[in-house]
Amino acid sequence: MPEIVLDDLCKDFDGHVAADHLSLTIGDGEYVCILGPTGAGKTTAMRMICGLTIPDSGRVLLDGRDVTMDSPDSRNATMLTQTYALFPHMTVYNNVMFAPKTKGWPEGESKQIVRSMLHLVHLDQKADWVPGELSGGQQQRIALARALASGSKILLLDEPLRALDARLRIDLRKELRSLAKEMGLTCIHVTHDQDEALEMADRIAVIRKGRIIQFGTPREVFENPATPFVANFVGRSNIFSGKVVGAGDGRVSVDVGGIVLTGRGDGMEPGSEAVLAVKVGFTRLSAPGEGPEGSVKGIVERIVYEGATVTVEVSAGSLGLVSSKLPSARFEEFSVGAAVDVSWPADKATVFQMPAGGLEEEMRLDRWQGSSWTGSPCASAISTPSGTYRSRSGTAST
Amino acid sequence: MSLLKKIDEISGSYKARNAWLTFAIVLFIAIIVIPAIFVVTKLFTEWDLVSGVLNDPASMEVIEGAVWNSFSIAAIVTVIDILVGLPMAWIMVRRDFKGKKWLDTLLDMPLAFPTAVLGISVVMFWGAPEGITIPGLGLDLSPYVMLLFLHIIFTYPYMVRSLSGILEQIDVNYETAAMTLGASKWTAVRTITIPLFRAGLATGFILCFARSLSETGGTYIALTMMGVESTFFTGPSFISWLKSDPTMVDSGDYMGAMILISVVMIVLALILLVVVKWIIARFRIPWKKVWPEIGRSVSRGPLPKVKDVITVVFLIIVVLLPSFYIFAYLTEPIPDIDYGTLLSSTGVSFLVAGVAVLVDLILGIPLSLYIARHKGGKLAGILDGLVNVPLIIPTTALGFSLALFWASFGAGDSMAIVLVILGHISFTYPLVVRNLVGAIEEVNPECEEIAMTLGAKPFRAFRTILMPIIKSSVVAGCILAFTRSLGETGATIAISDSVSTVPIYITNLVQDHMYTEAAMCSIVLIAICFVLMMVVRMLTHRRQGRDA
Repeated sequence: MPEIVLDDLCKDFDGHVAADHLSLTIGDGEYVCILGPTGAGKTTAMRMICGLTIPDSGRVLLDGRDVTMDSPDSRNATMLTQTYALFPHMTVYNNVMFAPKTKGWPEGESKQIVRSMLHLVHLDQKADWVPGELSGGQQQRIALARALASGSKILLLDEPLRALDARLRIDLRKELRSLAKEMGLTCIHVTHDQDEALEMADRIAVIRKGRIIQFGTPREVFENPATPFVANFVGRSNIFSGKVVGAGDGRVSVDVGGIVLTGRGDGMEPGSEAVLAVKVGFTRLSAPGEGPEGSVKGIVERIVYEGATVTVEVSAGSLGLVSSKLPSARFEEFSVGAAVDVSWPADKATVFQMPAGGLEEEMRLDRWQGSSWTGSPCASAISTPSGTYRSRSGTAST
Repeated sequence: MSLLKKIDEISGSYKARNAWLTFAIVLFIAIIVIPAIFVVTKLFTEWDLVSGVLNDPASMEVIEGAVWNSFSIAAIVTVIDILVGLPMAWIMVRRDFKGKKWLDTLLDMPLAFPTAVLGISVVMFWGAPEGITIPGLGLDLSPYVMLLFLHIIFTYPYMVRSLSGILEQIDVNYETAAMTLGASKWTAVRTITIPLFRAGLATGFILCFARSLSETGGTYIALTMMGVESTFFTGPSFISWLKSDPTMVDSGDYMGAMILISVVMIVLALILLVVVKWIIARFRIPWKKVWPEIGRSVSRGPLPKVKDVITVVFLIIVVLLPSFYIFAYLTEPIPDIDYGTLLSSTGVSFLVAGVAVLVDLILGIPLSLYIARHKGGKLAGILDGLVNVPLIIPTTALGFSLALFWASFGAGDSMAIVLVILGHISFTYPLVVRNLVGAIEEVNPECEEIAMTLGAKPFRAFRTILMPIIKSSVVAGCILAFTRSLGETGATIAISDSVSTVPIYITNLVQDHMYTEAAMCSIVLIAICFVLMMVVRMLTHRRQGRDA
């Protein structure tokens, strides 16, 4: 049964490192999402698994067999890409028939497989159409049927939902996952959409600069991030930097410009530089004086209504702007300019050692985006995780 | 079937694929690139002969004149093509009108005409050559001006095609955006669209310049009909003239002059290619200054209409009428044509063109795949440049160089037909490869990759996925190369005297002042080419229909 092992893979494209000693073990029948910013090496990892890219060093093992130098046609690992890559000169039927025909399966059996796959994706009626006549969602299903009909037990999905409109994308998440589970496939699903990854994956691998920086269940990755980058990339976080003032018992206290905050953490020396991150969803707001012990006083700066949720930004002294995501039922409790208490359960906040390259470098999403954001003084706290961070660092340093 | 399966299997190995690519590259360099420029080495090994010519002021004057004529005619023609081609490209891409399809076909017609035929037709139309009973305009033009008119005809389609190819890719929304920001039509086009044209201009410039520089058959025939073939020369016509005079062929002067003019033409053409690429890379079309008042006044009123009318009138009077004028011979009583010779030379022409195109394909596919799929790579860049070499070198010089190259291996006249085929491979190869590269670049590489992950070996993915998708472009490229080979005169003459293709047969008829017979043979040849062109049209249009 298919188990995928990536062992110390390296790949360099003219100086751009796409895989940097990348190792990952994926169990049989597992649905794994690879999550990472643009240019992190997600697609390269997939292409190395199915044999379209040959690594500079390291090994790829499928079922314990070293296939690093094997050609793509012999691996039984097929890919579903953003563009679907349906063969434009063939009908839907012939697209799905491609693998059975290529592999020389008996004709009767092949026909049956193709019919049942088309039925599975609810497109039996379109068998004689050509791909150009189908909608994006239909094309995506055909590509899926084509992949499933190949008998491959490993399915690599390279941002398969990216080109679809938002509503369809959300509907297809469940469908895709349950289909993969039903057929007993081992799936690797590359995405940069954190919601997609959190909802679909058995486990999430967060990749950055060609390295896996965390591999765990969605809850682990969300609530117990391995680095400040993961904390901010998977779900938005409020991030503060300061000096460690006390540690012990799995708790660390950090002094951020006079305000002492507490979170989970280990092995940090008092006096050392540290970063505390807490998800905006775990950040609570209460009426003045009603917050739990250790609450920080602040003034509401901005309220953004988002439908199901509402994000309230609070100016909290030396902490700068702190965001809190609340159910929109609480929308009317707040008004701009009102005083509030900000707090969070200490076990929902994580304290990290200050990254070696500095906080700014750590949070950078990728080369071009990083540089363009620093120049922008009014970086929105809403649009991107890096934006949240930038606006706060600006406040904190002044 | 089992052979295909075998190739499928073999294609699975990297080694086999690399070996195949290496083989194609080596063959490309050995039978196309090196023979094309081999004559340059003769400059050193046969220096005595060359210096003999250099020291002969009379010969030097002729050679200098010939080279000057070739390059100045090519330059003037290209500039005129740009000036009239730009508005034409606009009409073809941005306008919709009845009969656009017809105009589209008409534009390509001069490509279907062998240039030798165009030579006859153009001189008949503008001048009043002796021995022709059909009255033309009867203007007394100098040979230089006559050649300008002739060369505009067969370069014009290349320019319009290159420019409209680029214009199609330039989003009309840029222009619209500029106009919503307050620019007049003229200012928008001048400051936004035209500066985006650089790549198209470069391609068009090189294609037109090279074509004009190369042209032999039509030029030589035009000069012969005007009776000035031994006093007025272009580079290629000089070589033809030397070849046509049997008393000259055995003298040392002949060899020296041939080598000298070939080397000069080749070297200047290559320098030009580099210089043009350099200039296009550096040169920016100025857009910073605007003159809103002028822009507004030329965008309104009758001026845009006048521009369109001039463009269409130019097309009709300078390009189309002179091309088709040869059909006036259909009003004459049909002369006795030597059908035996016509048929046998047609056979030779088809054999040469057919084999050349076949070899182009076999050698061209692996190279095109490599160039298209490794854009930006070093080796791909070098190969891409080398492919252009036979395109820019005048075919007469190329043919002469190639004949010398193979003669040094002992290939004599018994091999003449093979050498002619090799020559035709050289100058048609770039046409096929250009087309293939363009077509492959359009195809999503993921299609083939996915096919491989679904279990297809590389060669199977190629023949079941890529090939069917690019089929119509491949056919179009092949027919372009085929008609080009069918119409070629210069290279064939330069390589051998014994291989008689149709254009050579026609040239010989003209030299014997048998104009009516030459015209009838031309009409037969045009008919054949025209049928081929229609096939291309049908194929490409069917493709566009399906994409829509």
